[in-house]
Amino acid sequence: MFAQQVVNAVMLGSVYAMVAVALTLSIGVLNFLNFSIPGLFMLGGMAVWALAHAGVPLPLAIAGALAVAAAASLVVERFTWRWMRTASPFVPLVSSMAFLLLFEHLAIAYWGSDMRVMPDALANGNWRFAGLVIGIPQLVGLICSVGLIAVLSLLLKHTRFGRALRTIAEDSETALILGVDIDRVVAAIFVVAGLFAAFAGVLFALNYRQVHPFMGEAVGLKAISAMIVGGMGNVWGSIVGGLVIGLAEVFAISYFGADFVDIAVFGFLLLILFVRPTGLFRGMQTVRAGI
Amino acid sequence: MSGYLEGVLVLLAINVVFAYGAFLPLAAGQLNLGLAGFAAIGAYCSAYLSTQFAVHPLIAIPLGALLSGLIALVVAVPVLRTRGIYLALATFALGQITKAAILNLAFIGGAAGYPVPSYVGLPVVLAFALGVAAVIPLLFATRFGIAVRAVHDDERVADLMGVEVRGFQIAAFTLGAMIAGIGGGLYAHHFSYIEAQYFNVGLSITIVLYVLLGGTQTTMGPLIGAAIFTLLPELLRESASWRYVVFAAGVIVLMVLRPQGLLTRGVFRRLFDWRHSRASARDAESLAEHAA
Amino acid sequence: MSAEAILELEQVSKHFGGLSVVEDLSLAVRRGSRTALIGPNGAGKTTVFNLISGVLPLDAGAIRMNGADISRVASRKRIGLGIARTFQNVRLMPHLSTLENVIVGQHSRNAGWRGVLHPVNLSPRNRWREEARAALAQAGLADYADASVGNLPYGVQKRIEVVRALMAKPALLMLDEPAAGLNPAETETLQLYLEQLSGGSDLTLLVVEHDMHFVGALCRNVVVLSFGRKIAEGSPDAVRQNPQVQEVYLGEPAAAASGPAAPNRTEYRRAARSA
Repeated sequence: MFAQQVVNAVMLGSVYAMVAVALTLSIGVLNFLNFSIPGLFMLGGMAVWALAHAGVPLPLAIAGALAVAAAASLVVERFTWRWMRTASPFVPLVSSMAFLLLFEHLAIAYWGSDMRVMPDALANGNWRFAGLVIGIPQLVGLICSVGLIAVLSLLLKHTRFGRALRTIAEDSETALILGVDIDRVVAAIFVVAGLFAAFAGVLFALNYRQVHPFMGEAVGLKAISAMIVGGMGNVWGSIVGGLVIGLAEVFAISYFGADFVDIAVFGFLLLILFVRPTGLFRGMQTVRAGI
Repeated sequence: MSGYLEGVLVLLAINVVFAYGAFLPLAAGQLNLGLAGFAAIGAYCSAYLSTQFAVHPLIAIPLGALLSGLIALVVAVPVLRTRGIYLALATFALGQITKAAILNLAFIGGAAGYPVPSYVGLPVVLAFALGVAAVIPLLFATRFGIAVRAVHDDERVADLMGVEVRGFQIAAFTLGAMIAGIGGGLYAHHFSYIEAQYFNVGLSITIVLYVLLGGTQTTMGPLIGAAIFTLLPELLRESASWRYVVFAAGVIVLMVLRPQGLLTRGVFRRLFDWRHSRASARDAESLAEHAA
Repeated sequence: MSAEAILELEQVSKHFGGLSVVEDLSLAVRRGSRTALIGPNGAGKTTVFNLISGVLPLDAGAIRMNGADISRVASRKRIGLGIARTFQNVRLMPHLSTLENVIVGQHSRNAGWRGVLHPVNLSPRNRWREEARAALAQAGLADYADASVGNLPYGVQKRIEVVRALMAKPALLMLDEPAAGLNPAETETLQLYLEQLSGGSDLTLLVVEHDMHFVGALCRNVVVLSFGRKIAEGSPDAVRQNPQVQEVYLGEPAAAASGPAAPNRTEYRRAARSA
């Protein structure tokens, strides 16, 4: 029924929003589309499954997954951005694509390419309210997502870190002159983005209970759609975008059937790219469309 | 010839075909992340024709490629209005749509995959690969090649020089899709089974990466890239996934050290044209110093 | 207007937002002439080039080439009508060799299916290739033919750009600051080359420049722009002595004998580069 679907859409949308935030940070500040982020999403989901499967209690499993993602983000940063600040912007993009491939095949090498299911006993309660069914992990996840994004948004607006980010987004040379420690700030961006993506992966694993090495691809593209709808570089826009895509997906299932969901959502993305690629809101920086 | 060697050569040939499929749009400045989708169209169309209508693979495969080309032509017009990263994302979306669409078409197997009884062996695969590897460099030796690379370097100036920028962009995109379609058709008829999940964005990325590895400045680059991607991991004899890990790591390192790829025009000239160009390069350098 | 004019601008205007960059500009360029378009920073000179070559659409007025109104003709087609140009910041194709850059210039003469598939890069004896080589030789650039343009000296690149534009066999060649960044020897070489080109033929030159000696030596006719309006036109001497022109360049009517070649000329050129 309608309200239930909205609830589902909001839950799904929050996952997309988190990944979209991760992507939008990289695009807004560093002006490159970080293709490794869908890979980090997948790593988050698969790592939490692997740890839970091995009997690790849930909170530790989540922490472990996030730690793996943070470490992986730092490696990505080293090899896509740190040494190539002056080279063409095309190089970090290509390297990030290679990292996506790397993460996917590392996952296959370790865990096989089959879909994996989260252990049943884990965090599975439901909350009934006004005739709606809301999964508890979903609700917790939703609250955490919105909370984290709100915290990030505040950070960006009111702290020195946030100002440093916005300065780099405007002009990295000016930022250098102004004494911003670009290296550390950029490393922080990568880690924050990686954590958001991985946390989304954890949420996905807990809510939908299935993970597999290629889960980053479809979700990644939907998160990219969310980012574009909300405006590249705009953190709150990513929430709106995530909601829009979540709603589009859930209602597409009702009208077109589950088989055609992907076609509908990606068709919607194509439409946006043709008609209004800058999205609904203005982002941190107008993205230079060059590759 | 041993079965193992034959297997390697087939893979090499198919990868060479895919490589030229990615090379064409890259040479025009386009990143086609939906290439696997066009390969899938070629694969499924040719497989359907040879299975349901008993069309000989030698005819079915080009027909499949034709369908890829037609669809590419139709989408190229709106898609190529976007540029740079938006173009890459649009092609990404296209590839995913194609995969999703195929998964829904029960008459070609849907999620269960599609078996392909008609078989093509090494000679046919090699023939197609050699054909592609001969035609594309020849094409690039014509004004087409110069126009495409001019469009890649500077659209505005190319336009002012009278080059039909949109036309060449669409041509490069469409031709690349057709070649990918040939690759898909070959894959389908040699491995006798195809599933939509294989033609994912990971495949598109892989192909693009090994073309970039080889270098896009010359028409020999795709050959080098495909060869390295296919042959080097054979030396490692690891499982398929680890080969990809090593390949991806290699690309990452390469992007740090030598982002222009292995085979650049300078290297090419030095290797194949050494007598002539060493002299003229030396003269050019000394002239340059003199004039500076 | 006069039948002798190859290019005419009739009350052309162009605004960007609220800013009027070209204002009610009318001028006629005589066939076979060498005309200079000068003016201080922000005068709109490169914008005029962009309007003539079709990069920017007109907001008002018309542009005529050989009497025909070309205001709505697509930029790609204008080279076919005889208009070729160079650019303020040299824009050669960085991944093509010198020879290939010049061959791009031939594209408008060798279009269509047969042209596109013409194997210019296959055999060294191809006639288009030979034509390109000969043109480079005439400009004294034969030795750079196979070099990659990115590493060549700036002066050489500028001349290659001129050769590329000439390959279209234009009736009107527009040069945007061809002497900028050249040393005196290179400037003289360029001047002689341009004189040689336009001397025996019908080629009309329209040159945006700041180097007044170069302008004075090469061009018989000078048009002065200031803030998008034409403020003077005539021979180099006449223009130099025009008090309005002097005021616009120097800030006061009392001019030095050498005219608008002001002492802070390098600064001026640097500032004018963003015009």
